[in-house]
Amino acid sequence: MGQPFLEIEELNKGFGGLRAVDRVGFTMGRDEILGMIGPNGAGKTTILRLITAILKPDSGLIRFRGKDIVGLKTWDIVNLGIACTFQNMRPFRRLPIIANVMVSCLSPRAMKRGEWVKKVEAKAMDALEFAGISDMALEKASTLSQGDLKRLEVARAVATEPELLLLDEPFGGLSPAETDLMAKSIQRLHKGGRFGRLHSEGPAMIIVEHKLQQLMKIVDRIIVLNFGTIIADGAPEEVVKNREVIEAYLGKGGA
Amino acid sequence: MGLFGFYLKRLYTIFKGEVLVLPSRIVVILFFLVLLFLPVVTQDPYLLRILILASIFAILAASWDLLSGFTGQMNFGHALFFGVGAYTAALLNLHVHIPPWGGIPLGGLAAVLTGLIIGIPCLRLRGTYLALTTLAFPIILLGIVFAIPGITGGELGVSGLARLTGSRMGDYYLTVVLMIGLCTIMWKITDSNTGLIFHAIREDEVAVRASGINTTRYKLLAFSLSGFFAGISGGLYAHFMRIAGPSNLEISMSFTVVIWAVFGGIVTIYGPVGAVFILFPLLEFMRFWPEYRMLMFAVVILLILLYMPEGLFPWIRHKIETECPRCKIRNIATRKTCRICTAELD
Ligand SMILES: Nc1ncnc2c1ncn2[C@@H]1O[C@H](COP(=O)(O)OP(=O)(O)OP(=O)(O)O)[C@@H](O)[C@H]1O
Ligand SMILES: [Mg+2]
Repeated sequence: MGQPFLEIEELNKGFGGLRAVDRVGFTMGRDEILGMIGPNGAGKTTILRLITAILKPDSGLIRFRGKDIVGLKTWDIVNLGIACTFQNMRPFRRLPIIANVMVSCLSPRAMKRGEWVKKVEAKAMDALEFAGISDMALEKASTLSQGDLKRLEVARAVATEPELLLLDEPFGGLSPAETDLMAKSIQRLHKGGRFGRLHSEGPAMIIVEHKLQQLMKIVDRIIVLNFGTIIADGAPEEVVKNREVIEAYLGKGGA
Repeated sequence: MGLFGFYLKRLYTIFKGEVLVLPSRIVVILFFLVLLFLPVVTQDPYLLRILILASIFAILAASWDLLSGFTGQMNFGHALFFGVGAYTAALLNLHVHIPPWGGIPLGGLAAVLTGLIIGIPCLRLRGTYLALTTLAFPIILLGIVFAIPGITGGELGVSGLARLTGSRMGDYYLTVVLMIGLCTIMWKITDSNTGLIFHAIREDEVAVRASGINTTRYKLLAFSLSGFFAGISGGLYAHFMRIAGPSNLEISMSFTVVIWAVFGGIVTIYGPVGAVFILFPLLEFMRFWPEYRMLMFAVVILLILLYMPEGLFPWIRHKIETECPRCKIRNIATRKTCRICTAELD
């Protein structure tokens, strides 16, 4: 009966002669956490950017809850319930951290869903609390460490109360202890519920990550990309045993 | 009487707690008071004239900061809004006999419309391209002005307009009170949630979109708000000078606005306002040495920017006030501990 939650078909994106995303297609369910892995330059970030319309696809279909979202503006997609983080972190550097998150809280989606919260500051603060950087709320974003910037990215995305969260290397630059904390937060978020005045829908997630060990612990399924195409798709334990995947990572004859 | 006394006391408490604690706020209040009470001391028409024009241009400089400083949409053709406001008020006054109090706001609205029209092609442009494109708009309008001299008066402009109020004192109080009011409104806008989004657009537009904000709408809002205040300024100028002419649209007009703003310090609103009240009288004063006027003017500005790259007023503010490392509240520089959270200041 129902439509798949997210449905991607024949997605293509080239940069000049390079096929960064080549006929990619997959579907995912409302409650899934999907890991996306692949060597550097495989096209993972590009796929996330195509979903949120930061980049335009050359061709292909993206349906969210049965609705074709190709051609919509980024802000419309975010207000439909898809939020993303940036791999290379894009904070508003000269603004305090709390103000960074307040911008997300001012989006129509967040405003509509938090009518009972009088002040956007309060909600932004709870998003910071969730990400674990509320103690630095008043510092300028330019003073943050790499790890804290990662958390700020997550706080900003979470503040729009998404149903689908796209995380681009959320563990990048984090220490092992910080990685564990972040993984716990992600799992808590996926369960849903309230974080202070912030509400979590228990979003579905696509997590792009190079740290396989930590990723395996939180995802239900992994998609492996190489040269812009999907070379494996399945349960984490199966995927890591896949011959083609091992070759893509270690080079031919590596395994 | 008791009630009156009560409110007076409340007012004094607020004044003491909010204004007297920071030198920058004392300076602002003093500046406003001096402007408002100056005619009690002197009514020298030349001095009043300079302050009237400074007030009008202060609105213009602040409106540039609202758009280009806050949202980072570099507008090198701000004279467009000024000129549209001036010509609209002038033509309405001359042909339809609309008095200044009607024509000036309509001039502001015409500039809003202009802001929307030029905002749309500017949406996709950034940096140098945006700067060059905006530079062209007033020149295009200038071409139109010269093309239809029957309506616009061509080279001579539209002259013989109604006086602003009828007396120098009236003009003075009208422009000074409007300047204080409109600049306060602009400052309030930048301090609001809308201002926060403007600021974020300047930092990283893509990230603002990814936060679910319709950046197109906010950029157009910035163009039209800025246009409105600049248009009002243009209308005031036209009625004070009793002429709207092609010089209102010239490139030098656009550049002067940028110079004022950068000199005073952008992304502040108060910086450009203060800069006009220093630079405009300075330029007038240098009339006594006409051959060196522009050269000296340029030297003053270069010196300031060399030693104070953030502009004059932010530089002064950093000297007289320190930010508490803990709660980020500003304190007078002489304090050892924060007035709010009592953290040590360094
Ligand atoms: N804006 C762009 N212009 C040109 N080429 C690009 C652009 N963005 C990405 N590419 C290229 O597309 C390919 C895929 O890039 P992408 O960023 O999606 O890889 P990735 O899988 O995220 O890699 P990483 O693990 O290093 O983040 C790379 O070869 C990259 O150089
Ligand atoms: Mg990437």
